[in-house]
Amino acid sequence: MDTVTKRKLNSEEIFAALKVFITEVIGEEFVEDMDITRESSFTKDLEMDSIEIVSFSEKVKAHFGENIDFTGWLSGMDLDQLINLKLDDIIKHIETCQ
Amino acid sequence: MPKFMFVVPPFFGHISPTLSVGASLISRGHQVVWVGIKELGAEHIPAGGKFIVPHEELAEHQADIQRILKMQDEGPKLSGVETLKLALEETYLPFCRYIMKGLSRVADEFQPDVIISDCITFAGAICAYNKGIPCVTTTPVPPDVTGDTMQSPKIFEWQKNLILGLQREFGVYTDDYVIHSRDMNIVFTSKEFAASKDTSEHMQYVGPVKGRPNNTPFDWDRLAAVTTPKVFVSLGTLLVDIRKDFFQKLIEAFADQPLTIVAATDPAIFDKWPDNFIVQGYVPQSTLMPHMDAVICHGGFNTVNDAFLNGLPMLITPIAYDHFHTASLIENAGCGVKLRYKRLRVSDLKTAMWDVLENEKYRIAARHIQDTFIKAGGNEKATELLETFAQKTYEQTTTLS
Repeated sequence: MDTVTKRKLNSEEIFAALKVFITEVIGEEFVEDMDITRESSFTKDLEMDSIEIVSFSEKVKAHFGENIDFTGWLSGMDLDQLINLKLDDIIKHIETCQ
Repeated sequence: MPKFMFVVPPFFGHISPTLSVGASLISRGHQVVWVGIKELGAEHIPAGGKFIVPHEELAEHQADIQRILKMQDEGPKLSGVETLKLALEETYLPFCRYIMKGLSRVADEFQPDVIISDCITFAGAICAYNKGIPCVTTTPVPPDVTGDTMQSPKIFEWQKNLILGLQREFGVYTDDYVIHSRDMNIVFTSKEFAASKDTSEHMQYVGPVKGRPNNTPFDWDRLAAVTTPKVFVSLGTLLVDIRKDFFQKLIEAFADQPLTIVAATDPAIFDKWPDNFIVQGYVPQSTLMPHMDAVICHGGFNTVNDAFLNGLPMLITPIAYDHFHTASLIENAGCGVKLRYKRLRVSDLKTAMWDVLENEKYRIAARHIQDTFIKAGGNEKATELLETFAQKTYEQTTTLS
């Protein structure tokens, strides 16, 4: 039997997966009016509240693995880091955790 | 007779309970003044009281004060962390710096026996500390409003550095927070509703204090003819920009439903309202409430308190600031349903409204909070606490001298 090594996802694939999670969390009808890019800020552009962030974080964990502690990572940030957090920062974080 | 000096921010929700308590103190023969950075309409100031704005010392900060007041309108567009920054770093701290000089002069002239400082006007408590004047804090909303955010070590650090830094600017070098009184903090809600973890003895939960009489005319005959469940809707006095969007959603959800909406908002925002909407710019809110079956609001504590004092269940659509905290408390206490205003679906609005109206559990829970509010003692209790506090500190100072 082949040893299956779980392939690391590249940045584009992570971005695509995150977009799906955001749509699931926020709701399709609300995502329609949004332009989700790597530069989208988490709180300002996507306007996620704490409940949405928790549900997003659970999806990230379920998909990318338990070792991605998204809420733990957030709680280590200072105010300005949280305010300026972009989707791209999350993609990079997942890349390093994989 | 002791003299009381209230120090208040330029936000009416924070000033309002102090006006009720101040009016009671005046009627019992005490001298009472208020100090703030913005004038208050004369109609609000209790007879015999005085509202002092130290214009001379504030003159150089006037442009900044106006800019900061304008910034508050941005609230609905901000995220939770941005709101925290706007509130503490960009509003409370500068306001404290601007008023300190004038406040200090007024305190020297008036010689208060007690300074009663609102929880966000740090200047009152710092001034009291520096002059050795006994200090009481008033807190109009359930405390712990920042909730879990302060669990984050860097944000906790940020808050601590700002507050201790501010205290040092005014010569206070202790590492304790003196911006809030450790002797007495009067909170205008019930302990049970606030679900506060702070069990310190100085926290005194007195419940809401009664508002001032409001004789605004209303079409009572039209209301009396209504046979469907009646739902009161208010967005409070702020949040002018989003009014149209909000009521558009309510119209979509409820125009064809067997219920009646009684809304406090300017009717001119739409040419035509559905027949089951009774709309008026200003309403006699506290007289109307006993006729209602439920309330839709954003979580501003004036309407929330009025709803609870009548044991009414709520549909809350938090928009900004402390609304989210209040909305969570209402939901946790089982008194209603919370729907975030952003991404509000008309179908959810409908489902939640009928759930709130038809499921008796919300009304029962709301009546329970009503009981805790009434038992907390309100205005009378607050007045009694302040008199006892003044008497006690007065005796202490006379024994010492």
